[in-house]
Amino acid sequence: MHYPWWYVPFLTAPMLIAAVATIHVFVSMYAVGGGFFLAVETQHAYSTRNRDYLAYLHDHAWFFILLTVVFGAITGVGIWWTIGLSSPLATETLIHIFVFAWGMEYVTFLVEIVSAFAFYYSWEKLDSLTHIRIGWVYAISAWLSLVIITAITAFMLNPGAWPQHPDFWTAFFNPQTVPQILARTGGAFLLASLYVYLHATFRVKDLQLRNLIGSRSSRPGLLGALLVTLGGLWWYLALPESARAALVVASALNILMVVIFAVTIVVFLMLYLGPYRNPGWLTPGFSLLLFAFGMAAIGTGEFIREAVRKPYIIYNVVLGDQILTSEIPSVQEKGFLNSGQWTKAYLATQLPQVFSNGEIDDQKLLALPQPDRIQVGQLLFQYHCNDCHSLAGYTAVPALLQGWSPEMIHALVLNPEKAKFFMPPWSGTPAEAELLSEYLISITPAQPTGMSYDGAH
Amino acid sequence: MNPTDLLPPTSPLGLPAPLWFIRFFKVFGFSLHMVPMNLWFAGILLSAVLLLFRDPAARRLSARLMDQMPIIIALGINFGVIPLLFIQVGYYRVFYPATILIAWPWFAVIGLVMAGYYGTYLYVVQLRRDRLTPWSRALGWIVAFIFMGVGFIFVNGLSLMSSPGQWPAVWSAAHLSGAATGLALDLQNASILPRWLLMFGLALTTVAVYSLCDATLLASREPPEYRAWVPRFALLLYSLGLVWAAAAGTGYILTMPSASRSFLLTPPQLALTVITALAPGLPWLLLILYRWRPARLLVLLAALSQFGMLVLNAVSRQFLQDAEVAPFAAVGAEPVNLQLVPLVLFLLFFLAGSGVVIWILVKVRQAETSLATASR
Repeated sequence: MHYPWWYVPFLTAPMLIAAVATIHVFVSMYAVGGGFFLAVETQHAYSTRNRDYLAYLHDHAWFFILLTVVFGAITGVGIWWTIGLSSPLATETLIHIFVFAWGMEYVTFLVEIVSAFAFYYSWEKLDSLTHIRIGWVYAISAWLSLVIITAITAFMLNPGAWPQHPDFWTAFFNPQTVPQILARTGGAFLLASLYVYLHATFRVKDLQLRNLIGSRSSRPGLLGALLVTLGGLWWYLALPESARAALVVASALNILMVVIFAVTIVVFLMLYLGPYRNPGWLTPGFSLLLFAFGMAAIGTGEFIREAVRKPYIIYNVVLGDQILTSEIPSVQEKGFLNSGQWTKAYLATQLPQVFSNGEIDDQKLLALPQPDRIQVGQLLFQYHCNDCHSLAGYTAVPALLQGWSPEMIHALVLNPEKAKFFMPPWSGTPAEAELLSEYLISITPAQPTGMSYDGAH
Repeated sequence: MNPTDLLPPTSPLGLPAPLWFIRFFKVFGFSLHMVPMNLWFAGILLSAVLLLFRDPAARRLSARLMDQMPIIIALGINFGVIPLLFIQVGYYRVFYPATILIAWPWFAVIGLVMAGYYGTYLYVVQLRRDRLTPWSRALGWIVAFIFMGVGFIFVNGLSLMSSPGQWPAVWSAAHLSGAATGLALDLQNASILPRWLLMFGLALTTVAVYSLCDATLLASREPPEYRAWVPRFALLLYSLGLVWAAAAGTGYILTMPSASRSFLLTPPQLALTVITALAPGLPWLLLILYRWRPARLLVLLAALSQFGMLVLNAVSRQFLQDAEVAPFAAVGAEPVNLQLVPLVLFLLFFLAGSGVVIWILVKVRQAETSLATASR
C-alpha cells in the first residue's frame, strides 16, 4: 500500500521468499553443523594421527566451501534481496528493530568466511593446534550467526510483549527464540551428518574409513534429530493460539505436520539402524535416501514455519497486505485506495474523475461505468489480496471461489477474517468492498459440471 | 503525477541510531565493498583479455588474478552486506520503491552472482589443473560479462533510488493494474551508461594497484621477469583506467540532471568534487615513482591512496545522493529512537571480529612465511 506492489504471476511475490529461504536453509544449516563436524573431526583425526581421515576431511572441506561459501552466502544475501522486494513494509520494520543484530550477524559472517578459507587453504601449512582453533572459530561464529538470525525470524512468528514494550531486547528474546534455536541447532547437526554421508559414500572407497565416518557422524545426527523434535514441540507450545489453530484448520498444514513427524521418525530410525548400529549399510543409495528424507523434513518444517504466520508477515505487527495492524482503523475510515500512495497515484492518472478535493470519493467510485469499476477492483485485488492469492497458480482466487454466489463473495470480502480466521480483515470502505467483489465475481468460474445430487432428492 | 506523492510515510519506529552514524557505516561499508567489487568488475575481464597475449607474464597475471578471485568474490559479497543494511535503515523510503520497480532484474542479481561465482570456481579448478581449454576460456569471458551485467543492474537500481522523478515513467512502462511487474530498467536515464563506465574506469585503476601489490608482496615464488613486468603493466593499466574514468566521468557530469550537476560544481561541494576528480592522480604518481625507484613503502602508499580515492568517491556520491533525494524526501526526518546497548554491542562485535580476522591472517601469513623459508 505504501510501497508499489510487485506482481509475480502464478506464485505471488512472497512465495519467492519461501523459495529462496528454503533452499538457503538447506545449505545454511549444513554451514553450521558442518562447521562443528570439521572442527571436532579434525581435532579427532589429529589426536589419533589418522592421515586417511585427515585427507578425507580436507576433501570434505573443499565440498563444504563450494556449497556454503558460494551457494549459502549468495542465497543468504538473496533473502535480503527478496524480502525487500516482496514485503517492503515488514522489511522496513524488521530493519528498524534489528539493524544492530544484523550488524553483529554480519561480523560473524565475515569471521566465518575468513576462517573457512584459512581452514581449507592453509591445510598442512598451519600447525595442528592453530588449524583446530581456526576450525572452532568457524564453528562458533557460524552458530552465533544462526542464533541471531533465528531470533529475528522467531520474532516474526511471535513478537511476545514487543507491541506493548517496543524495545530491542523484548524483540530479541521473544517466546519463539529459544525453541527455534534448539530446533535449528538440531537441524544443523542432523543435516551435517546427512551431507557427510552423501559426500563420503561417493568419495571414499576404503570401507574401513567409510565405516569410521559413518559411526562418528551418527551420534551428532541422532542428537540433532532429538533436538529437532524437542525444539519442534516447544515451538508448537510457544505458538500464538491462533497459529496453533491454523495448523489444525488448514488442511495442507495438517497433512504437512503429519509428514514432518513421519519423516523425522524415519530419519531417526535410518540413522540408528544404519550408520549407528550398522555402518556397513552406508552406500550411495542409502545415503541419498537418507539425505532426501532429511531435506523433506527440513523443507516441510520451514514451509510450516512460514505458513502458520498467516495473515501476518510479523505476527500482530505487519499484515500480509502490507499494512501495520495499528493502521487498520484509519485505513478503514479513509479508504484503502486513499491511504496507499501508489493506489492513489494510479487512480489519479487512470481515473481522475473519482477525486474530490484531492481525495478519492466513494460515491464517484460507485458511479463509474462497469469496465472502470472492474479496473478499480483489480487494483484493490493486487494490493489487498495478491500477497497470498494469485490469479492463476498458487492459491488462485478463481479456483477458490468457483461456484460461489455473488452474495457469498461480497460477504467474504467484507469480513474475510470471519470466514477464515487466518485471513486479514478488510481494510477498505464498503464502496471499495463492492468494487473488489465485482472484480472477483467477474473472474469466478461457474460451478463445475459433472456433479449430480439427484439421488438426494 | 507528483513523484513526492509516491513516497511512503516515515517509519513510526524512528531511527535506531543518529543519521550520521547510519551514513558513516553506509559509506564505510561501501568503500570496503568497492575494493573487491572493482577487482571482479574489471579484473575478470582483464584476465580474459590477458590470455589473448602470448607474453608469459601477461598469462601469469591472468592466472594469479583468477586464482584469487574466489576469495575476492566472497569478500566482496560479505562487504556488500553493511551498506545494504544501512541503506535500508536510512533510505528505505527511496530504496524499496526503486528496486521494486525494477524487481526482476534486481532479483536476477542472486542468480547471476551465483552463476558468475560458480563459473569462476569452475574456471579456477581448470586453471589449477593446467587444463584451460577453449571452453574454459569462453567461460572466463561469460563470467566477466555476468559480473559487468550485475554492475549495470546495480547502477540502475541506485540511480533510480536517487531520482524519484523517474519513478512514474518506469512504473507506467511496466505494470498490471497498478502493480509493478518489475520488468523495467531505468534506461531513459542518460547518466546510467556513463556512470557504469565510470565505475569500470575506476575498477581498472584498482586492478592496476592490486596487481602491483600482489606482485611485490605476495608473489615471492614468481620468476623475477614477472615481478619486473607487473610494475610496467600496472602503470599502463592505471593510465588507461585514468583516461577512461576521466572520459566517462565527464560524460556522467554532462548527462546527469542539471540540479545534480550544479550541486557538484558549486561551492562548497565543488571543492570535494575537484579533490575527488584529482584523487586518482596520487596513486598514479606513486606508480610512476615506483618505476623510477622501487620500494615496498611506495606500494603500500599506492594501495592506501587508492583506497582513499575510493573512499572519496563514496563520500562524494553520498553527498550527491542526499542532494538528489532531498527535494522528494527528508532523509532522517523521523525521530531517533536510539538503541544504545545494541549499538555498543555491535561496535564491540565489530572490534572483536576484526581482531579475530587479523589473528587468523597473521597465523596464515606466519605459516606461509615459515613454509617459504623451509623450502629455501
